[in-house]
Amino acid sequence: MWKIYRVAQREFVDTVKTRTFLLGLLFIPVLIIGIGLLGKKMSESEGGPRPAVRVGVTSPAGELLSRITKAFVEHNTASPQTPLELRLVSDEGDRTSPQERGKEQLRQGELDAYVLFEGDLEGGQGTLQFYTHKPRASQIDAMWTVERLLRDAVIDRRYQTRGIDRAILAEIQNVPIRRVELGQEQGREQEQSEGQRVARMMVPFAFMYLIFIGIVGMGQHMISSIIEEKNSRIIEMLLSAISPFQLMAGKIAGLAGVGLTVMALWGLAAYGAATWQGIEIDVGPDLLVYGLFYYILGFILFSAILAGVGSICNTVKETQSLMMPITLIFVIPLVTWPQLARDPNGDLARVLSYVPPTTPMLMVLRLASSPDIWWGEIVLSFLVLTAGVLVSIWLAAKVFRTGILLYGKRPGPREVLRWLREK
Amino acid sequence: MVHAIELQEVRKSFGPVRAVDGLSVAVPRGSVYGFLGPNGAGKTTTLRMVMDIIRPDSGEIRLFGEPASSSARGRVGYMPEERGLYRRMTTAAVLRYFGSLKGMTPAQLAQRVPAWLERIDLATHAGKKVEELSRGMHQKLQFAATVINDPELVILDEPFSGLDPVNQDLLREIITEMRQQGRTVLFSTHGMHEAEQLCDFLVLINQGRVVVNGTLDQIRSGHESRTVSIEIEGDPSFLRTLPQVAAVQPDGRRLDATLREGADPQDLLRVLVERTRVRAFEIKQPSLHEIFVRLVGGGHVEDL
Repeated sequence: MWKIYRVAQREFVDTVKTRTFLLGLLFIPVLIIGIGLLGKKMSESEGGPRPAVRVGVTSPAGELLSRITKAFVEHNTASPQTPLELRLVSDEGDRTSPQERGKEQLRQGELDAYVLFEGDLEGGQGTLQFYTHKPRASQIDAMWTVERLLRDAVIDRRYQTRGIDRAILAEIQNVPIRRVELGQEQGREQEQSEGQRVARMMVPFAFMYLIFIGIVGMGQHMISSIIEEKNSRIIEMLLSAISPFQLMAGKIAGLAGVGLTVMALWGLAAYGAATWQGIEIDVGPDLLVYGLFYYILGFILFSAILAGVGSICNTVKETQSLMMPITLIFVIPLVTWPQLARDPNGDLARVLSYVPPTTPMLMVLRLASSPDIWWGEIVLSFLVLTAGVLVSIWLAAKVFRTGILLYGKRPGPREVLRWLREK
Repeated sequence: MVHAIELQEVRKSFGPVRAVDGLSVAVPRGSVYGFLGPNGAGKTTTLRMVMDIIRPDSGEIRLFGEPASSSARGRVGYMPEERGLYRRMTTAAVLRYFGSLKGMTPAQLAQRVPAWLERIDLATHAGKKVEELSRGMHQKLQFAATVINDPELVILDEPFSGLDPVNQDLLREIITEMRQQGRTVLFSTHGMHEAEQLCDFLVLINQGRVVVNGTLDQIRSGHESRTVSIEIEGDPSFLRTLPQVAAVQPDGRRLDATLREGADPQDLLRVLVERTRVRAFEIKQPSLHEIFVRLVGGGHVEDL
């Protein structure tokens, strides 16, 4: 036990002390906060107005045109950072129709958009034809705004011609909703803010993401640690003092410790940030306990696979190419999480819950998003995961024992299969 | 008496290659034992099996009378041929780490670590990282890590390779000290010189089998030399023409004559006495080098 502890301690200290680890630890929170702050700053002042988006229009009649003009002016006053410019493309008495002229100006780059009011729009017919030429991604927002302004102007005119009062309509449509969350104790009620609702959605994902980082991220350290010991030939010195099992157990304990530290720090940081923003995050102790066990089992499983793979490789690069398919399995829940969060007891979630590599991530996600999971599923998932852990340790131990002392060429799959069959 | 190491009919194959093929060796306690053989003879494989790093296919290995996989391994210090230490750790931390893996208490470490650093002339480098050390220092540090807990049995795989003459002397000194303290030292080597100087017992293995073993004298007595050192008066050029002599090489004032296969040195002496005055006539002791080259065969001379 003492020996395992010493291995774990060295592994922990050695990993935590490296520069890459510290950068990694700080990088993601800094990135998130940075993007948040930057986004806020950007929307406050965007560093000078952008060039005006030039919109050519043809054939709106008098009242509609004045409405559109008014809408554009209002928009430019309200958001001077994204100005719009309205240009009339009219009949100039020559042979070219305004439509042709508008399209030509668009092609020449004199206009950014050209809109043709076709048919009796005010009467409820016709179409609003919206032409662009090589639209730029940076103008897409502006184009939507233009479409909305023009549409609203048309709708306004339709109300007017039919004699409907817009003010009355607005009154009719206004149904205020107040979202209130009840606390556990009586009388404790709380207005549910938008942030709160987003947080509700994000907490399960955050938990799953932490588990992912804790397993796959720490896996990178596991790989480099094994490869270092193999490449620098320390392994034989170590194996003369301790058994391969003690070595692996120590490594797993040490790196799981690092993983838990990272997860705790990030979790607390996120919790702190949310609380500071006035968002209440409600995480029960049972979720934390389950999470801890799922994480540790998941990490042992992944580490065992890594130890087996790492022991037959000579460079980190070689390992990564072999690990690619396994790492991809871990990415599945990250990619499909919106569906998983919406339907935590659906087929996809259930299936992934019983595929040992993804079990920890899935179960944590499900427990966080719907706490009323049947206890049988939890027990079953633990059984499946434990079985996966035992099988992977058994296989990895066989490969590890032989592979770790082989230097030079990587053994082929047939060779590895032969080791697996031995004894 | 229970031997420190006992191997009985140990076999190990890697695929089609028989690395160790029915090896039986007994290392008495308190002795310095030399493991000799050309490259690929199975020395490293044997030592790894003794340390239970790899398991034999068949046969029995005992450490202090107990199975190799038992706790008896804790009484052994093993320095592998492949050299390596954690590069980012400091010199003193390496010794502390390996010491604690071998079950030493912090109090013992506090005493033994500085003592060993002093002994291998690395005391001034205690705070330096391993990657800043030279190759020779690295190797000395690894040796210290092997013996930090004063094990009863020390197994060293090629301990002298890569050391400069000064450090080779230091290592020789330490091994001699260990024998005086009653420890058992087993080392493999290419260097016949070290083996001749240090070892009480020697074993030569080739292709996984024992070729010869015993004390240096036993091995020598079994192998008569064919070299005779001669000093005579007058012109020695007639020596070459004698039927007993295969070759003559000057050696200072003397001459080294190599006899033909089956020739008796006594015959040669008789012939010499008849023709001239003989000042000196000595049948040379065969060197280990000579014996081993003869036993292993010409093909492996360069490996020895």
